Amino acid sequence: MSISLSPWIWISALLSLAVFSFLYKDNPFYRFAEHLFIGVANGYAVTFYYHNILVPTLFDPLFRQGKLLYIIPFIIGILYFTRFIPRISWLVRIPIGITIGYYVGASIPATTQAFIIKQIQGTVLTSTNFQAWNAGSWGIVWSVIVFIGVFCSLSYFYFSKEHKGVLGVTSRIGILFVMIGFGAAFGYTVMARISLLIGRLQFLLGDWLGIIQ
Amino acid sequence: MKIVERLTKIDRRIIYLVLAIVVLIPLISRSPERVRVMPPVEKLYNAVDTIPKDKVLIIDFGYAPQDMPELEPMGFALLRHAFEKRIKVLALCLYVQPLGLAQKALTEVTEEFNSVAQSNTDSIIYGRDYVFLGWQPPPLIPMLGMGISITNVYPADYYGNKTDTLSLMKDVKNYNDVALLVSLSAGSIPRHWVAYAQNRFGVAVAAGVTAVSAADFYQYYQTGQFTGLMTGMKGAAEYEELVETRLNIKKSRKASEALPSLTYGHLVMIAFIIIGNIGYFVQRKRRQK
Repeated sequence: MSISLSPWIWISALLSLAVFSFLYKDNPFYRFAEHLFIGVANGYAVTFYYHNILVPTLFDPLFRQGKLLYIIPFIIGILYFTRFIPRISWLVRIPIGITIGYYVGASIPATTQAFIIKQIQGTVLTSTNFQAWNAGSWGIVWSVIVFIGVFCSLSYFYFSKEHKGVLGVTSRIGILFVMIGFGAAFGYTVMARISLLIGRLQFLLGDWLGIIQ
Repeated sequence: MKIVERLTKIDRRIIYLVLAIVVLIPLISRSPERVRVMPPVEKLYNAVDTIPKDKVLIIDFGYAPQDMPELEPMGFALLRHAFEKRIKVLALCLYVQPLGLAQKALTEVTEEFNSVAQSNTDSIIYGRDYVFLGWQPPPLIPMLGMGISITNVYPADYYGNKTDTLSLMKDVKNYNDVALLVSLSAGSIPRHWVAYAQNRFGVAVAAGVTAVSAADFYQYYQTGQFTGLMTGMKGAAEYEELVETRLNIKKSRKASEALPSLTYGHLVMIAFIIIGNIGYFVQRKRRQK
């Protein structure tokens, strides 16, 4: 056992314990750690963005190198601040419109292809999809289960008709798949949260106290 | 019946305490647990393992401090694998927070190899074997821009070197020279690599994600959009297992060492869920009477 002598490790360890103290009840140590985190994170982000984005990609080219074309993004960026002046606050729509226009234009074809068309292709019962499971003849079974799951789950979310008859049956099967999905997601969430606890304990027992390597 | 009532009203602090003890004991006693490698991780390993000499592996380090327990071991294992096989690596970040952690992983794994290297050829050398491209916002710009020219998107690397002067970058122009892109992320970024880099430029994408978001990513593995997938600490442990058993690299295995704690932690959670449900149904039955 060799306790760390690094002040940074000690600060980190004490702040971790301060945050853990919230599990007992709210207290000044937890609130101190929380406020410190928010302050440091914001301070870090502001200075980092200023020195690594604004200065090298805008201020330097525009004001030091005299690249006048950069005045256009500079003005567009400044327009965001017009929100604070009620008389001309409508100008904020210009940079927002440019940003939304760019992202929508770039994302619609890409996401439609990747998230909808490819996913539908993956659901269709084809020999390629059967083989993709690498499970021999079981590939057909898994593909059929996925097909039924997608079809029935979609039917559960079809609200234009009362869930009776065939739609009632498929929607009830669909809710089973949805519940299994929720269960899997919850199980994974538990796994993630315990992993976080383990990570902190590994730090406290290893880096700080030296009990484990 | 008082016992049942008590079980349904267990103080949450007792649950925390029990969980902490159960997680703590295996960490101290270091009880080993066998790691069974699942196909999604094995496929990723094989994809990295078969990267040709003239292609590179891109690793997108997308984890922040809160994701370290799950994603950092993946980063270390991937780098060990790549460096052992002398696969050239381009590291990058799409956000600010992971920069320091990416640098830490690169530095530590490089030191591991260089501490036992006999010659310059055995060593892992910056600029020749790997390059840390750093950060270029917003994420969409590098995702699309690297399809045209990587050095245009990253004119300078993380350390301020001009990227077109680095020997590795002389042979790496764009996605055509990339065999695989692995995104280690706690968010939705791996899906965006699929949408923009793979969809448009055809680059193979794999992912290492946190367990909490794992259920959102399996469908991309099933459709073949992800070449491989690591999920949570378990996925990291599986990759560590492959690196140790197949490459005989015996280094610290943080994820594998944590697996017993993870298992017992889950068992405790299951036990509490069962206890809570028994209490609920017994009380409901009593109310109905």
